Amino acid sequence: MNDEWLADPVEGEEHVGLDGWPAVAEADLGEVPLAIELRRFTRKAARTRAGASLGSLLGGVYYAVIVAGTGVLLGLGIAQQLRVSLPPPPATADFSLSIPTLVAVILLALAGGLLSLAGRLGPVGAGGAEAAWWLSLPVDRRALLRPAALRLPMTAGAVFAVLVGLLDGGLLADNQGHLLRGAISGALAGVLIVVGAGLAQTAGASRRATAVAGDLLMLAALVGAVVLAATGRSIDRLPAPGWVAVGVLALVLVGLAVLMDRRLGRIRERGLRESGSVASQAAGAVVSMDSRELGRALADGAVRPTRRWVSRLRTARGAASALVTADLVVLRRSVRHLVQLAVTASVVVLVTLLPQLATEAGVLAAVMIAGYLAASATAEGARRAEMAPILDCLLPLAPTTVRRLRMAVPAVVMLMWSFVVFVALGRWAGDLPGWLAMGVASTPAWAAATVRAAYRPAPDWQKPLVATPMGALPTGVASVLARGPDVVVLGMLPLWIALVLRSVSPTLILAQVVTSVVAVLVASSTSTKSFMERAMDAQEADRASREGAGR
Amino acid sequence: MAKPVVRANKLLVGYGGAPVCAPVSFTLPEGRALALVGANGAGKSTVLRAVIGLLEPSGGSLTVLGAPVDERSVQFRAKVSSVLDDDAYFPALTVAEHLYLTARGHGMLGAHALVEELLEEFGLTEHARSLPTALSSGQRRRLLLAAGFVRPRTLLVLDEPEQRLDLRMRSALAERLIAEKEAGGAVLFATHDAELVRTVADRAVYVDDSSSPLLGAAEAATRIAAEPA
Repeated sequence: MNDEWLADPVEGEEHVGLDGWPAVAEADLGEVPLAIELRRFTRKAARTRAGASLGSLLGGVYYAVIVAGTGVLLGLGIAQQLRVSLPPPPATADFSLSIPTLVAVILLALAGGLLSLAGRLGPVGAGGAEAAWWLSLPVDRRALLRPAALRLPMTAGAVFAVLVGLLDGGLLADNQGHLLRGAISGALAGVLIVVGAGLAQTAGASRRATAVAGDLLMLAALVGAVVLAATGRSIDRLPAPGWVAVGVLALVLVGLAVLMDRRLGRIRERGLRESGSVASQAAGAVVSMDSRELGRALADGAVRPTRRWVSRLRTARGAASALVTADLVVLRRSVRHLVQLAVTASVVVLVTLLPQLATEAGVLAAVMIAGYLAASATAEGARRAEMAPILDCLLPLAPTTVRRLRMAVPAVVMLMWSFVVFVALGRWAGDLPGWLAMGVASTPAWAAATVRAAYRPAPDWQKPLVATPMGALPTGVASVLARGPDVVVLGMLPLWIALVLRSVSPTLILAQVVTSVVAVLVASSTSTKSFMERAMDAQEADRASREGAGR
Repeated sequence: MAKPVVRANKLLVGYGGAPVCAPVSFTLPEGRALALVGANGAGKSTVLRAVIGLLEPSGGSLTVLGAPVDERSVQFRAKVSSVLDDDAYFPALTVAEHLYLTARGHGMLGAHALVEELLEEFGLTEHARSLPTALSSGQRRRLLLAAGFVRPRTLLVLDEPEQRLDLRMRSALAERLIAEKEAGGAVLFATHDAELVRTVADRAVYVDDSSSPLLGAAEAATRIAAEPA
């Protein structure tokens, strides 16, 4: 074989570098345009063919402003109501947190959440067409990436301004000057966190590392709250940043943003493509209101790129046990979901221990929300199976049986979760054995709710819209999104009554057993229609058959 | 002697530290074509991704145009044209505008005339003003291939270019690739098409997990033909 095909360098060969290579069609080369011209070309074509009139654009802006404004005002009202209804910290309690401390903890957790989200989304990326058609061009990539690099920091800034404003104006109720400074500082902090994540990306840090740093910050907020509550340390007032501090923060931010912009060209194409792909998937999930898809996008955005060990599935003895074993393996491999279980249990325990939050309403809300989030962590197997239905079809099991078997792992895990939580509830309300019995009785309902949510069908956008002050509400979407939470609310009604009464009785436990059985039956159903729709269909079919018989 | 455009020495590629195939060694000189052949999942596309900078090699050495691979370099992007299976398009740009964007983005003079020429060659003239969503899968593939030729290049990297093409278009593609070699360009492509290997490739690497030997084009074509369907 000729030497020129061998991999070893040929003696005397020069290291030529990227210069000096003739190119095919090189003779036709002129000046390469600026990246901004190419972006304008793409944008102009998009605008020309968008097909949206000025009226529909204004209508969209109107709805967006109304929805955002109503949401902010509602949030502010709830926060102010919460401040009034929360009892003052008891002077002698061993375990308590002041409201400013609680706000500080929430702010720290929000910062961690934002950092985690920024890491999972990139934050700078180029997906789909941009990756395929822009990234290969020999132009300065910074101008192509700039809009994508600005999108997330700007959104984060706006959201953080609102959140800090709500916490400040609602829970702390300071004067308006403080509120404005707080909101501006919140906006700057939100932008700063995302820009920081962007700088880490330009320096070559993995998205996973940034996401884990954010997760740890959230965990630190929770641990910090426990430590502060246990040691009795609290802050009486959150320091309000002065205008000088706000100005300095803004200057630092501008400097960092310029630095990030200069380094955008350092991000490798594979990183841009991965981030862009995750961001597109997440944006699609948000637009179609698919929380399962959103969870998948964000979870896959920070997965470690290593090969998995091969599970021998020793406990799989037949079709049923194979399915349960597979669900168990999926859960065991997802550290994020195990952390989610631990954190949600800790939140409920914390709420029952803090005198200010341990009201009937506070504990009920904590158990309901944290319980549903914990149950969601246990049903990844079912969610994956819903995405790829072939997984359920592979085993010789009836669809109803598959649904019931998918509840096995969630039920066992939620039983363990309930043990921790209901011990805390027993301490909070007294009668530990009674609450433990209630915990056991409610476990199947948690499993049923999460499996029902995992198998919910795609939203039906064809159904009529209902006009609300916040814009049009698509009823087909709302009814689909309610699948799962509806079982939590209705299937655990005896538990909610017990929490409101702060007392558990044999009657309530028995009622919970009955509603849990009903919840399991409802979640086992493979029908995608609601009870009402099925009743109407049956009525329609009955009428049609009677008319047919009459003829 | 022709200058080596791509040089891979015991190149190891994979994901998460686990190699997907045996180390690959070859040199692709200018004016020649090298085919990567092998079974589905053997690692052909992964090797190509390393060559164009979309994947960091796990081991060995790899140089393209005499320098380590770095797609962040403007010069690298100006000289390496790649056609992968990126089925993504700007929803508001027509077929012709996608090609025009690529040609103008690379500073090609007479971009409009060049685009029309390629539309004709790839049988897309009738669809020049169509949006990509209106195209069939095969037509979209032809658009991607045309985009690979509408710009200057020293190295052309193609991942299974025969996919979704009819026999006439495969034959036209083979002629195009032969012309590419004659113009001094280097062609590196992964394929399952024995005929394309026989007519275009000068050598082939049989990518496998036990060993990845460098073969003659005829021998590689015979191996492809012997693979189970």
